[in-house]
Amino acid sequence: MTSLALTRNVLRRIVRDVRTLALIVILPLFFVLLYGNSFSGSYTGLPIVVVNQDNGLASVRTAEVGRITLTVDLGQAFVNALDPAVFDIVQAEDAEAALASVGEDVRAAIVFPKSFSNTVVNAAVRAGGERRVEIDGDNVTLLPSEPVDGPVTALTIDDSSPLVARAMLDALNAAFATVLETQQSSLDIDSFLDVRSLYEGRIRMLDFTAPGIIGFAMTLITVMLTAMAVVRERTGGTLTRILIAPVSAWQVTLGYTLAFSLIAVFQAAELLIASVWLFDVRFVGDPGVVALIIVLFAVGLQGIATLISTLSKNEAQAMQFVLFLVIPSLMLSGVFWPLEAMPATIRPLSYAIPLTYANAGLKKVMLTGSGIGDLTFELAVLGAIAVGTLLLSVLSMRRQAYTA
Amino acid sequence: MAAEQVVRAEGLRKRFGKRTALDGLSLTVPQGQLYGLAGPNGAGKTTLIRTLCGLLLPDEGEAHLLGWRMPSTRVRAQLGYMPQDFAVYDDLTVLQNLEFFGELYGLHRRPVRERANELLDLVELSDRKRQRVGTLSGGMRRRVSLAVSLLHKPRLAFLDEPTAGVDPKLRRSFWDHFNQLADQDVTLVVTTHLVEEALRCHVVGFLMAGRMLTQGTPEDILARTDTDNLDDAFIVLQERGEATP
Repeated sequence: MTSLALTRNVLRRIVRDVRTLALIVILPLFFVLLYGNSFSGSYTGLPIVVVNQDNGLASVRTAEVGRITLTVDLGQAFVNALDPAVFDIVQAEDAEAALASVGEDVRAAIVFPKSFSNTVVNAAVRAGGERRVEIDGDNVTLLPSEPVDGPVTALTIDDSSPLVARAMLDALNAAFATVLETQQSSLDIDSFLDVRSLYEGRIRMLDFTAPGIIGFAMTLITVMLTAMAVVRERTGGTLTRILIAPVSAWQVTLGYTLAFSLIAVFQAAELLIASVWLFDVRFVGDPGVVALIIVLFAVGLQGIATLISTLSKNEAQAMQFVLFLVIPSLMLSGVFWPLEAMPATIRPLSYAIPLTYANAGLKKVMLTGSGIGDLTFELAVLGAIAVGTLLLSVLSMRRQAYTA
Repeated sequence: MAAEQVVRAEGLRKRFGKRTALDGLSLTVPQGQLYGLAGPNGAGKTTLIRTLCGLLLPDEGEAHLLGWRMPSTRVRAQLGYMPQDFAVYDDLTVLQNLEFFGELYGLHRRPVRERANELLDLVELSDRKRQRVGTLSGGMRRRVSLAVSLLHKPRLAFLDEPTAGVDPKLRRSFWDHFNQLADQDVTLVVTTHLVEEALRCHVVGFLMAGRMLTQGTPEDILARTDTDNLDDAFIVLQERGEATP
């Protein structure tokens, strides 16, 4: 019966604490909604540049009339077969420029050579052996011919995200399979493609996720540490003493921000060094740029943590608010799968999460060696978050003086 | 020349939900006065002190400290505040607590140490100054809190229940020290739920349900109620239902 009394007491206290009760009810639902939405997306709108130089002609040997030339236009058929939901297709004419454009706003570029139709049709005949087909009402027997060396289809692909690169190759394969159906063959696209990765060395899933995991660890540890510390100061009364002393809310906020940012930067350095040394995580960029991203991100996290502490009556509530930040950070900021894979309905939420920008920036520097000039957007957003949350922290610190 | 009114509050009203904590309360305390706020738990003593210090905003009325309307940042350097909870860092030593809060008041390490030694003698914790506060008893922690509040030699100090949990001998020495401070023109507003303790004050205000039952010198209150101790005086006033805003 004593146990029941304890159970009743715990439940009664929770029911009376409306904020905790609301968090208990909402948090699991929030988690499921995030989980369901973030996993239910597929890759859409991947920009690809297509240069179709294919003349559309195929020269094949026949048993009856010798060599004949067919118009099959497989290059165009391939372009038509590309899934418009997956790819945002731009057709161009300059092959060199197209291949060089990959990496900025273009995820891949494919160039079909002049002889594409000829190469594919003859390969299909070689794979399938002699066969009878009807051409212009006449039945003819196609004969396999020796392969002729010629230009292959060039594909340059942005492989900074292994998942996106794989999704693009799968979609290209699907388009190719559709084209080959017309040739009654099932060849592998790899035999026609010269795939060039944009970045040297293979980018593993570990490399792809490491920057996001480092940012996530910073978010989790730093926000929790700061929010708990400020709540503890408030509930213990020491914050009142500090705020009644001749120090401004600015000075107090700056003091906390400096202390906890130093801890966050130390942790990030520890995470980075351990990742590179122990797991050989790819790091091809400038450590100074990484440090800048981390400092801006850390300051922003301090601001958010201070705001969380204002909203929390006690440490238990602060902990639950922290979960509201870290769970979406993990699922929606592109740590495990790129933003392109998220449903459009939930993507705006991703753009509201600071880790999205820290993750994107860190990935660019660590995986592709981008310099500070390539990161103006990410740095500007992280800087704005840092300044904005710092200002709000000062205001909330003033408010804490009246609620402490 | 009349002494400066260091504390001046008029018509303070503060509600928490449906509960009225301060019910149109007015108060003046001249410089160098030791003012005792006495009353039972829940009478509104802490709310009044927090409102006067600018930590709570009144719903109605206004408070002025040292001539500044509260809340104001201008009085902070001259203001001492001892909250009812200990409000010191358990994981720091006694001396580290004093040094930290001293720094907030712009005091350098050496003067802080000298001042800390004086105050630790007063609160009888000199032999504990290198001990972590978390390992001290509740009464000792309260003494650390008092030392922190007086560290920067404030002109005006609000001390919320400074003698709670303190043994009678030390309590007497605290009150002696408060009187010495008042002699040095420091103004003190001290709350206590031990009504009899207020005898040590120059002026006493009896608080009940957010209203001032009465205020005056202890002798004056005893004469008006025809009693010989403040406990009885408080009961008489309570029964008469006298209350002045």
